Amino acid sequence: MELRQQDVTEPENELLSRVAGGDRDAFERLYQATASRLLGICLRLVPDRGEAEDILQDVYVAAWRKAPQFDPLRSSATVWLGSIARHRAIDRLRASSAQIDQAPIALAETQPDPAPAPAHQAEADSERARLDDCIGRLEPRRRTLIRTAFFDGATYEELATRSGSPLGSVKSWIRRGLQQLRACLEG
Amino acid sequence: MSVDTSNETAAPPPDDDTHAGEYVLGVLDELARRRAQNRIRSDAGFARLVGDWERRFAPWLLRAAPAAPSPRVWQEIRDRLGWRGRDTARDGLWNNVAFWRAAAGLALVAGIAVVAFDRARTPPATTASEQAERPVTVLARGDGTPGWIARIDATRGEVLMMPIPAAVDPSGLVNELWIIPVGGKPQSLGLLSHEKAQTIAVPDALRASFAAGATLAVTLEERAGIPHAAPSSQPIAVGSIRTI
Repeated sequence: MELRQQDVTEPENELLSRVAGGDRDAFERLYQATASRLLGICLRLVPDRGEAEDILQDVYVAAWRKAPQFDPLRSSATVWLGSIARHRAIDRLRASSAQIDQAPIALAETQPDPAPAPAHQAEADSERARLDDCIGRLEPRRRTLIRTAFFDGATYEELATRSGSPLGSVKSWIRRGLQQLRACLEG
Repeated sequence: MSVDTSNETAAPPPDDDTHAGEYVLGVLDELARRRAQNRIRSDAGFARLVGDWERRFAPWLLRAAPAAPSPRVWQEIRDRLGWRGRDTARDGLWNNVAFWRAAAGLALVAGIAVVAFDRARTPPATTASEQAERPVTVLARGDGTPGWIARIDATRGEVLMMPIPAAVDPSGLVNELWIIPVGGKPQSLGLLSHEKAQTIAVPDALRASFAAGATLAVTLEERAGIPHAAPSSQPIAVGSIRTI
């Protein structure tokens, strides 16, 4: 399943190209093909279903308008749409302070990397395997912070509070972690 | 701000690529996010760096468990884009018996006035006897004015559609002709011109639908996808077939 989503020839790319030309039928089919996945992305960050569905509306209205900007050579339609969804959800998180996750983060130096769920392992594609591999090579503190930031949509300030670490340290751990990650993925 | 963190919070700003990564990771606060988003819009190089990070994190992005949205979401997206309510139309007017009764009445009234009009403009090639063999149906617009005149040739399985000149729909949509059998659902007969007389061949499967009591209707539709499986909006003109 993930493999198909990553495939450059995915049918969503073709649909999105037609949407760029103003094809409403293609837009409806694109919605049908991607809406569940995008709602899942929104719900991961904004658990309230009504709110997540409002964000989903924003995502598709934006997608209709921005479709001509989609470059199939640089991205896939699902990643492009998924990124719009994720950023809209994070924007919503930032605008409302009510949903901030206060759960403490343990930054043990030797914390083991949580193994991916079996279902994901079974269908792991090369991109996923590479990302997990490169994340696994990071120092545990950086790895945990980057994971938490991505999956909880947490800010530097929230990560500092939740981990009980100085803000400047959190920033420099994450920035160095990102640089290492890029070097590993592009290397 | 505690003293022991001041040195590190004053750390130099990250390079562009790392900043793009911070943005995609989602660690920036509201103000910094807005600045980054403005920069994405104005700086193509920075936008590319962001796109690269989105691709790097894509396996995590697509890991979220899918959840089916409620039907209202698609309807509201359409409303916000200013599109006609396809589903509303399907469930509403098309299945509304009272509407069809009223429309048939309108067509009847318009028919009386327009048959005379049509005779005055009989195409020269058509003889009076041929005309008499072919019943005429007027497709009336919502305001009662005639929109098209349909002449049905049951033997050949053809419908000659003659438009009455009228203002063109500004939305860029086109006319699609439908036959609605008695007690049945609309079936498309394809694209319909608003400016030229046109002979439409009736597919064999639909010929039986051309019977007394059936309805011809015109809707505004997207050009792409014609013939559509079902109309997306309310008819702009309708007429009831009285005799064949």
